[in-house]
Amino acid sequence: MIKISVNGEIKELKENLNVKQLIEVLEYKTKGFAVAINTTFVPIAKYEETIIHDGDTIDILAPVQGG
Amino acid sequence: MKSEELRVKSDEWEIGGKTLKSRMLIGSALYPSPANMEEAIKESEAQIVTVALRRQSAGEGGGNNFWEIIKELKINVLPNTAGCHSAKEAITTAQMAREVFETNWIKLEVIGDQYNLQPDPYETLKAAEILVKDGFEVFPYTTDDLVVAKRLADVGCKILMPWGSPIGSGQGLMNPSNLKAIRKQFPELKLIVDAGIGKPSDAVEAMQLGYDGVLLNSAIALAQDPVKMAQAFKYAIIAGRLGYEAGTMQKREFASPSTPTVGTPFWHQFA
Repeated sequence: MIKISVNGEIKELKENLNVKQLIEVLEYKTKGFAVAINTTFVPIAKYEETIIHDGDTIDILAPVQGG
Repeated sequence: MKSEELRVKSDEWEIGGKTLKSRMLIGSALYPSPANMEEAIKESEAQIVTVALRRQSAGEGGGNNFWEIIKELKINVLPNTAGCHSAKEAITTAQMAREVFETNWIKLEVIGDQYNLQPDPYETLKAAEILVKDGFEVFPYTTDDLVVAKRLADVGCKILMPWGSPIGSGQGLMNPSNLKAIRKQFPELKLIVDAGIGKPSDAVEAMQLGYDGVLLNSAIALAQDPVKMAQAFKYAIIAGRLGYEAGTMQKREFASPSTPTVGTPFWHQFA
């Protein structure tokens, strides 16, 4: 069991997933957001090879209004 | 009156590799409703709209609905790095924005002071250098400091966005002489007054200084009637640009009659 933070919320995973699997588990849609782990951007092309580790902080960002 | 009629002498211009007619960059935040935002942006005829990225839960649809409206407008999107306090945060946000919005444009905003939301020149410069090298077209939000402007130009920024006054303050141009000095020193850069614009006359003033455009959000979104204010700013920006291109008259110490004095009836001399 590993503990991670997703958008500020603590979540527990049974195993070390990759980013693609994490997005599926969290039931995100396939497009319209971007992912960073520990303040480092993870491009879509690297979702499968990027493994989530215990203690990681994950940010999933989507478009909003801005000035 | 249609604005096209007023645009007769207002040429197209180029920024970030795009040729545009409008010199307004409009924000998408703070409107009374999404429908009002959409109508105001359409009325402004702006061809660049600023957007942002924020955390979103899987079930939330709000952000995506917003993005659908913006996409439908079919104008250029300028994502910002609002809320970032370090170069690292801003760089990551820019990279995420490039993927989501499919653009290499980024409004680089690194805040150094929470009270007046003043940009941090050191972190902004650090981030700008890295982002330019990474292929971004950087639109840096900066103060009206000439040396900071010079350093940003030195690292490859082709666009500078000095503030008129603090974000959302509506105070207009606090220091027109500093803005003027930046314009004079960097004739080759695209200069946009970003932040602090409160009323249409502020936009006229910025454009009369020779600035290439104006970025504004609160002045329109927080007006009593945002759609009408969008129209007011559209005309103000055109008027200011035309005024700049036409060249204003020299100020004089004394009055000088505009009506011919020759042939004045009932002539009398002042004692």
